Amino acid sequence: MTAKKGLIICAIAALLTIILEILFVQHKTYDWWHGFIGFAIIFGFLGGSALILVSKLFGKLVQRKENYYDGGDDSDD
Amino acid sequence: MIEFHPGFVLLIGALLAAVLPARARQAVMILAPCLALFFVFILPDGMVVSHTFVKGLDLIVLKVDTLSRLFGMFFCVITLIGNIYAIRVKKRGESVGSLVYAGSCLGVVFAGDWLTLFLFWELMAVSSAFFILYSKTPQAIRAGLRYILVHFFSGNLLLFGIVFKAIAGQTELSILSETGGAAYWLILLGVSINAAVIPFNAWLTDAYPEGTIGGTVFLGAFTTKVAIYCLMRIFPGTELLIWIGVMMAIYGVVYALLENDIRRLLSYHIVCQIGFIVAAVGIGTELALNGAALHAYGNILFKSLLLMCVGAVIYTTGRRKLTDLGGIYKEMPVVVILYMVGAFAIAGVPLFNGFVSKAMIVSAAAESAPPAVGLLLNLVGLGTFLSICLKLPYFMFFGPDKGIRLRKKVPANMISAMAASAFLCVLYGVVPALLDQHLLFDVRYQPYTWSHVISTIQFQIAALAVFCIFLPKLAGKPTISLDTDWFYRKPLNAFIFFIVHVTISLQAKAGVLGASMLRLMAPILQEQAYLRHLGKIRHGLFSPIFCKDHYWFPIGTVIFMLLLMFVGVFANIFFHN
Repeated sequence: MTAKKGLIICAIAALLTIILEILFVQHKTYDWWHGFIGFAIIFGFLGGSALILVSKLFGKLVQRKENYYDGGDDSDD
Repeated sequence: MIEFHPGFVLLIGALLAAVLPARARQAVMILAPCLALFFVFILPDGMVVSHTFVKGLDLIVLKVDTLSRLFGMFFCVITLIGNIYAIRVKKRGESVGSLVYAGSCLGVVFAGDWLTLFLFWELMAVSSAFFILYSKTPQAIRAGLRYILVHFFSGNLLLFGIVFKAIAGQTELSILSETGGAAYWLILLGVSINAAVIPFNAWLTDAYPEGTIGGTVFLGAFTTKVAIYCLMRIFPGTELLIWIGVMMAIYGVVYALLENDIRRLLSYHIVCQIGFIVAAVGIGTELALNGAALHAYGNILFKSLLLMCVGAVIYTTGRRKLTDLGGIYKEMPVVVILYMVGAFAIAGVPLFNGFVSKAMIVSAAAESAPPAVGLLLNLVGLGTFLSICLKLPYFMFFGPDKGIRLRKKVPANMISAMAASAFLCVLYGVVPALLDQHLLFDVRYQPYTWSHVISTIQFQIAALAVFCIFLPKLAGKPTISLDTDWFYRKPLNAFIFFIVHVTISLQAKAGVLGASMLRLMAPILQEQAYLRHLGKIRHGLFSPIFCKDHYWFPIGTVIFMLLLMFVGVFANIFFHN
């Protein structure tokens, strides 16, 4: 419910920034994506999701119980 | 006008704090950094003070230029803020420690030759360890000992490198970028360990969360930034550093997303932000180096603000895990607001100081680094926003109410220190021109362009959307994440235990064997006392289990001999001058 609201707010804000971007921004293009309208939103969304998924996957590899170093259960090692 | 080394002002302050009664000590804690800041400003550019140490070797204790003055200013400001935060600390040792620590950092910053740098480097390592040991919990003491061992290791690498430089007859600090050779690699490695460059980052995330509440603020501000200073002084434009920095930044972000301990989460973001700066030092253009210095200052301000806020949460609730916290925003609204200022600053929200320095570094990357660097740094910025502005405050202050009642109020001195940091974060964000005249190079840079502001806001909107979708996945779990300290905490530990065990049992076996051979000769020797001793051995009083009390005497003797040797050598040096 709140997550849904949050997403709606994000969508509205994203639209607003894209309008502002079209109206006011003069891009300095070092690479092709610097001139791509709304690139930050798309890259940010995909990159951010990838970051979370990768870190969760990585977590499976490195996460242990809290007492791991105090002679606790390290059978999953 | 008297010119005086600002580091020594703090060291003298530390001496005073060591003997004065509580009230006067508090005054010293405030006045010493103010006075040091004053001296930092009045020291003229190009001033050099040196003392002869041994024949042909001068220690250049004080050498002033733009870079050293800039970092000197940063350290004095944060010493003042940190001391205000920790002014009610009861332990004399902690107040003295903070001044010694800050003084030694200034010593490194104003050092003009390798040996002076090294001496203050070691003083910094020793004085900082107390902030961890003073927590007194068993974990803290073990973490503190690991911390100090890692730092001695880095100091030794540095010393090795310095010896190579000294043999070559170069005792003055110089730029080593891309020179290669043993000295280059040893010094780079020594400095990198202190900068928490991966894979040597584990000492930081292992030890900092165990520090005392006031001490963590100093720890977070000093050691790594001194290392950054050294990188900027010695290795600007080393290409290797670009990629190392980017990897560090991503590494820190990934671990922060997994972390449950609030101070460890912030520690991983120290690694992440240092990565940002290391990459900028690697890029090495004028804009990048200005950005690196500015981001180091920004990081000192907002990271200590965040650590102070989190310290206030731990101080008032006694809890440090995200899984134990939640729903306390009504109890401490001021802390929440101040925390959010720090969070917006570190994430580079427009109008906060992080925005300015991040824009500089990202622009420098777009201009003069491989294209992927700029993209990855933007992604790191987004990850920072995700964990510091959204995850941490949501689960710490808001989130499900755990029914926590505060044990005590947040004291006024803590609030005022946090407010001072927050004020500076906003001030430098709104009026970035304030720092222009102190920066290294005269590069006109305008952070507030439509392009920067809009793309930053777009990244942050994307982060918010990602947060809304993945919210359940982001909640803290009661786990720890293994880091590279695992290698010396598990396998190396087991290996050392194995060696000790083997040695002891060999010794015991040899003892028994020797005893039985002597017994054969007993009729000839006829020494009653010795026979009694043999009897003990046979009855197993000398067990092969390691007992440290057996080793006090032999190890103590060795250390005593070493000390005697040092005294002898130094006496020899001094009397020959």
